[in-house]
Amino acid sequence: MAAHGNPTGWRRWVYSTNHKDIGVMYLWFAFIAGMIGFGMSGLMRMELAEPGVQFLPSFLGITEDHARHMFNVLTTGHGLIMVFFMVMPALIGGFGNYFVPLMIGAPDMAFPRMNNVSFWLMPPAFILLLLSTMVEGAAGMNGFGGGWTAYAPLSTIGHPGPSMDLAIFSLHVAGASSIMGAINYITTIFNMRAPGMTIHKMPLFAWSILITAFLLVLSLPVLAGAITMLLTDRNFGTTFYNPAGGGDPILYQHLFWFFGHPEVYIMILPAFGIVSHIVSTFSKKPIFGYLGMAYAMAAIGFIGFVVWAHHMYTVGLDVDTKAYFVAATMVIAVPTGVKIFSWIATMWGGSIKFEVPMLYAIAFILLFTVGGVTGVVLSNAGADIVLHDTYYVVAHFHYVLSLGAVFGIFAGMYYWIGKMSGKQYPQFLSKLQFWITFIGVNTIFFPQHFLGLQGMPRRYVDYPDAFAYYNKISSIGYEITAVGVLLFIVVMAKTLFFTKKTVADNQWGEGATTLEWTLSSPPPFHQFNELPHIK
Amino acid sequence: MIVKRLFAGIVAAVAAAFGFAATALADAAEHMPVDGGHWLVPAANEQAQRIDDFHIMLMWIITVITIFVFVLMFWVMFRYRAKANPVPSKTSHNTIIEFVWTVVPILILVVIGFTSLPLLYYQDVVPETEFAVRVTGNQWNWTYSYPDHDGIEFTSVVVPDSAFVNASERAEYEAALTGFLGKPAKLNARLLDADTRLVVPANTKVKVQLTASDVIHAWTVPAFGVKLDAVPGRLNETWFEADKPGTYYGQCSELCGKDHAFMPIVVEVMTKEDFAKWVEHAKAEYADAGTTALGR
Amino acid sequence: MAGDVHHDYHLVDPSPWPAVASLAVLFMMVGAVFSMKPEATLFGAQGASFGHWFFGAGLLGTIYSMFAWWKDVVKEAERGDHKPVVRIGLRYGMILFIASEVMFFVAWFWAFFGAAMYPLHHISDMGTFWDVISTDAAWPPAGVETFDPWHLPFMNTLILLLSGTTVTWAHHAILHGDREGLKKGLWCTVLLGALFSCVQVYEYAHAAFAFSGNIYGATFFMATGFHGFHVLVGTIFLAVCLGRAYRGHFKPDHHFGFEAAAWYWHFVDVVWLFLFIFVYVVYGGTPH
Ligand code: HEA
Ligand code: HEA
Ligand code: CUA
Ligand SMILES: [Cu+2]
Repeated sequence: MAAHGNPTGWRRWVYSTNHKDIGVMYLWFAFIAGMIGFGMSGLMRMELAEPGVQFLPSFLGITEDHARHMFNVLTTGHGLIMVFFMVMPALIGGFGNYFVPLMIGAPDMAFPRMNNVSFWLMPPAFILLLLSTMVEGAAGMNGFGGGWTAYAPLSTIGHPGPSMDLAIFSLHVAGASSIMGAINYITTIFNMRAPGMTIHKMPLFAWSILITAFLLVLSLPVLAGAITMLLTDRNFGTTFYNPAGGGDPILYQHLFWFFGHPEVYIMILPAFGIVSHIVSTFSKKPIFGYLGMAYAMAAIGFIGFVVWAHHMYTVGLDVDTKAYFVAATMVIAVPTGVKIFSWIATMWGGSIKFEVPMLYAIAFILLFTVGGVTGVVLSNAGADIVLHDTYYVVAHFHYVLSLGAVFGIFAGMYYWIGKMSGKQYPQFLSKLQFWITFIGVNTIFFPQHFLGLQGMPRRYVDYPDAFAYYNKISSIGYEITAVGVLLFIVVMAKTLFFTKKTVADNQWGEGATTLEWTLSSPPPFHQFNELPHIK
Repeated sequence: MIVKRLFAGIVAAVAAAFGFAATALADAAEHMPVDGGHWLVPAANEQAQRIDDFHIMLMWIITVITIFVFVLMFWVMFRYRAKANPVPSKTSHNTIIEFVWTVVPILILVVIGFTSLPLLYYQDVVPETEFAVRVTGNQWNWTYSYPDHDGIEFTSVVVPDSAFVNASERAEYEAALTGFLGKPAKLNARLLDADTRLVVPANTKVKVQLTASDVIHAWTVPAFGVKLDAVPGRLNETWFEADKPGTYYGQCSELCGKDHAFMPIVVEVMTKEDFAKWVEHAKAEYADAGTTALGR
Repeated sequence: MAGDVHHDYHLVDPSPWPAVASLAVLFMMVGAVFSMKPEATLFGAQGASFGHWFFGAGLLGTIYSMFAWWKDVVKEAERGDHKPVVRIGLRYGMILFIASEVMFFVAWFWAFFGAAMYPLHHISDMGTFWDVISTDAAWPPAGVETFDPWHLPFMNTLILLLSGTTVTWAHHAILHGDREGLKKGLWCTVLLGALFSCVQVYEYAHAAFAFSGNIYGATFFMATGFHGFHVLVGTIFLAVCLGRAYRGHFKPDHHFGFEAAAWYWHFVDVVWLFLFIFVYVVYGGTPH
C-alpha cells in the first residue's frame, strides 16, 4: 500500500480515510437504519389502527400481555433509531462528511482516521441497540420499553434485565462517535477553509454543521453522564435517581433534557443548511440576509441550551422556574422566524424552478412552520398542562422531524445524488415520490393534533374507542407513506444502478454557486490538491 | 362514507382552527373525548376554561402566522416561477424588512407571554383548599386516600375489556360501583372506567397530593385542566375545583411500563350533601383499609 | 493518483485501527453488560459463561488498537506529516476534546450540587410517606462521616499543584532545548501524578461511606472517581511523553504531543480544585 494509496475492494471502505467514502457509508447506514425505524413505526401504526390490542399479538405470535410491553419496546426503538441512527448519521455524518470539505475547499477532513472511527462505531452501537430488544428487559419480557427518554426509575428498577444496559452502552458508543465527529467538523471548518474563504463567506450548510457540532460537543457528554449514572444505579447500587438513598428521579430528566433539547436542534440545523442552498439554487438568487441566516442559527443553538425544562412542566417544578422556561423557549421563535422569512425573501424576485429538491425544500418550509408554531403552543406551561404527553406533542415533533428533518434529508439526496453518483434521478418517478410522501406524512400526523387536543396520551398501546376515528386515518396515512418510501427505494435503485446518463459538473446551472459544483460528478478521490482561492 | 367523514373532519378542523368548535362542542355530554373530536374536551371548571380560552387565542395566532407564511410562499411560487420571471433579481438585503420580521414576532410573543404567565400562576399556586386527597401511582393502578376524612383509602383499577363485552360481568361491575358510590352508576367507556372512583364534592377547592410507589406516573383530568406527575420519593401538589356533579375521566400520562394505557383516572363529583353521605359510608368500609370495591 | 499535492494538510493513509477498535468496543460492551448481569442470557448462553471473556478480549483489543493507532500518529509526527497548519488543527482538536470532558464533569457536578444544595430525605417506604417536605434534609446526610479536607485531600491538592509546576518546567526545558530538564520535569510530574493516585486509593480505602446505597457516596465517588480516572489517563499520557523524550522526540518549535499532555494535565488539575473546594470543603460538612 503506497503512501496516500487508494486501496480497492473492501479495504477501501473498511480502512477508509476518505471523507467522501465515509460520507457514503454513513448515508447507507442511515438508509438501512431508517428502513428499520420506518418498519417499527409501521408496526405501531398497525396496532393503533383500531382500538384493542390485536395486531401485535397475531403478527408476532405473542400474548396480549407481552404485546403491551412490546409496543413500548417498538416506540422506544423507533424513537432512538430515528434520532440517533437515521437523522444524525444522514445529515451530519453523511451530508456533513461529503459536502463540508467540498464546500469550504478542503481536501479532506481534519482528522481522516478519526472520521473513520466515528463511522465504524455506529454499526456496533446499532447492534447493541438491536441486541437490547432481544434480551430480557422488564421482568419476564424482552426489550426496553421505557421510551427514548429512558426516564428513571422505569429505566432502573422498572427494567432489571440486561436490555437496558445494552441500550445504555449503545448510546455511549453512538455518543462517542458523534463527539469525535463533531470535533472533526469544528476543526475542519476552523482550520481548513480555502484561502480567502472567511467565516463570513462560508456556505450556510457548513455554518449549520459548525453550530451543530458545537451543540454536540457541549451536550452529548451530559447525556453520557446521565446514562452512566443510570448504569451505576442499575448495577452498582448507587442512588443518583433513587429516593431510597436520597437521590432524585427528576435529576435524570434535567440531565437528559439538557442534552435532549439541543439534540432536537442538532437534528434540524443541518436541514436548515441544506434547504438554504436549495432555495438559493433554484431561485437563481443569492441567499437573502446571509449573515442574519448564519447568526440566527447560532442564536437558536445558543438559546437551545437554556430551555430544556419545557419538557418538564408537569414534573412539579417551582412556578417561577416554569415562568422562566416559558419565556426563554418562546424566544427561539424569533431567530427561527428570521430563517423562514429569509427563505421566502430569497425566493422573492427569483426565477424559481420546481425541481424535486426544491419541492422538498418548499414543503420543508411550509411544514416546519406548522410544527414550529405548535411548539410555541407547547412552550406555554399553562397550555402544556393539558397537552403534555398527548399526541399533540407527537404531532408537533413529527412535523419538525418526520416532515422537517426527513424532508431535509430527501431534499439533500435529490439535490446531491447527481454530484455523489454522477447519475441523475428519474424526473417523473421522483416527483411522484414527493407527492405521495407529502400526502402520506401529512395524513399520518395532522390528525394527531386532534387526538392530542382530545386528550389521547402518547405511548399508549390501546386507547378508548373515542379516539378510533383519527387513529384510523393516521394509520391509513402510514400506508400511503409506505408507498412513498418504497418508491424512494425504486428511485434510488434506478438512479444508482440502471442509469447510464451522467450529469454535468454543475447540473443546476448558475444558481448553484458553492464549490462542490466546480468539481466533476462524482468528484475525484482527492479533490483540491491545488487549493481554490476565494475572492 | 370515509370521504364524507373526512370532509366533515376538514370542515370541523377549519372551524376548530377559528375557535368555533369550542362553543359548538361545549354542550357535549360528560366532558369526555368524542370520536372525531377536534378540540379540548369541554371545560368543567374555571381552570380548564381559562386554558381553553388561552388555547383559542394561541390557535388564532398560530393559524394566522401559518396562513401568512403559506400565502406568502404560494404567492412567491406563483409570481416568481421561472416562466413568469426569467431574470432573477439580485437583492439580498433590506434592513427595514429584516428589522420588521424580527420585531413583529417579538411583539406577538410578548402578547402571548402576558396572557400565558398569569394563567400559569393561577394554575400553579395552590389556593386555600377545603381538604386534601392523596394520590399514589402504582404499577398499574391508583391509590386514593383522604387524610382529612379518617384516612379513607382505596385503590382504583381499570375495568377489564371483557366487562364491556360481557353483559353479566358488566352488571357485576356496575353493581359494585353503585355500592361504592352509594348511588346508581354505570360504566361509560372502555379503558376509561375503573372499579372505584375518586369522589369529591362540587364547588369545593380540593388539594391533590401526589406521589408514586414504584415508577413515575402522571395524574390528569383534562376537563379540570389538571396534570401532574406522581414521582417516587417526591410530594407534588396541585388543586382543582369542579363546577358541577358528574363523572370525569383522565388517563395516566407518564410512561410507566407495560400497562401504562390501563390505569385510568375517574373522578366522581357529587353535591356537597351526597359527598357527606358518601364519606360516612366510605368511612365504615375503607377507613384505613386497603381494599377496593371488588374486594381486591 | 492524480496531480501533485500543493497543500500542507495531512491526508492520512488508510488504517485498519478504527474498524478494529470498533469491533473490539462491541465485544467489550456486550461483555461488560453480561459480566454485570451474569444470570442473564443472550441467545441461550448464560452471561457468566462468556461475559468476562468478551469484556476482557474487547478491552484488550481496544487498548491494543489505541496503542497501534497512536504509534502511527507518533510515527507520522516524526516523519514530518504534521506541518504547521496540521498542528493548529491538532490544537483545536485537543481543546474541543477537553471541552467535551468538561461537559462530562458538568453532569457529575450537577448531580452533586443538586443533592448538596437541595438535599432530599431518604424515602424508603415509597408511596406511603406524606409528611415530608422535600428540602429540609441534612447535607451531608445524617450518619455519613466525611473526610477532613485539610488532611489527605489538601495534601493531594498540593501534590497536583506542584505537578502543574513541574510540567511547566518540562515545557520550558523543551523550549530551550534542555533535554535533561525535560526528562527531569516529566519524571517529577509522572511521579507526582502516581503519588496522587496512591493517596487517592488510600483515602478511598478508608472511606466511611460506600458508593452504593447513599447519595453522598454516589456523588462523591462518581465525581472524584471519574477525576481519578483522568489522573490515571493523564499520567499515562505524560509517561508516554517521557518515553518519547528519551527517544529524542520533541523539538523546541514542534512538540504538540507534549503540549496536549500538559493541557490535559492542567485540566485535570483545575477539575481537582473544583472538587476540593466544593466537594471536600464547602459541602463536606463538619468532618469527624
Ligand atoms: C427537529 C426537532 C424539533 C424542533 C426544531 C423543535 C422546535 C420547537 N419545539 Fe419541540 N420537540 C421535539 C422536537 C423539536 N422541537 C421533540 C422530539 C419533542 C418531544 C420529545 C419527547 O418528549 O419525546 C418536542 C417537544 C417539545 C415541547 C415539550 C412538549 C411536552 O412534552 O409537553 C415543547 C414545549 O415547549 C417544544 C417546543 C418547541 C419550540 C418552541 C420549538 C421552536 O424551535 C419552534 C420555532 C419555530 C417556529 C415558531 C415557526 C417559524 C417561525 C415563524 C413563522 C415566526 C413567527 C412565529 C411566532 C411569532 C410564533 N417542543
Ligand atoms: C426523526 C425522527 C422520527 C421520524 C422520521 C419518525 C417517523 C415516523 N414516526 Fe415517529 N417518533 C419519533 C421520531 C421519529 N418518528 C420519536 C423520537 C418518538 C417518541 C418515542 C417515544 O415516545 O419514546 C416517536 C414516536 C412515534 C409515535 C408515537 C408512539 C407512541 O407514543 O406510542 C408514532 C405513532 O404513530 C410514530 C409514528 C411514526 C411514523 C408513522 C413515522 C413515519 O413518518 C415514517 C415514514 C418514514 C419516512 C418518511 C422516512 C424514513 C427515512 C428513511 C428510510 C431514511 C432515508 C435515508 C437516507 C436517504 C439517507 N412515531
Ligand atoms: Cu401509570 Cu402510566
Ligand atoms: Cu425541547
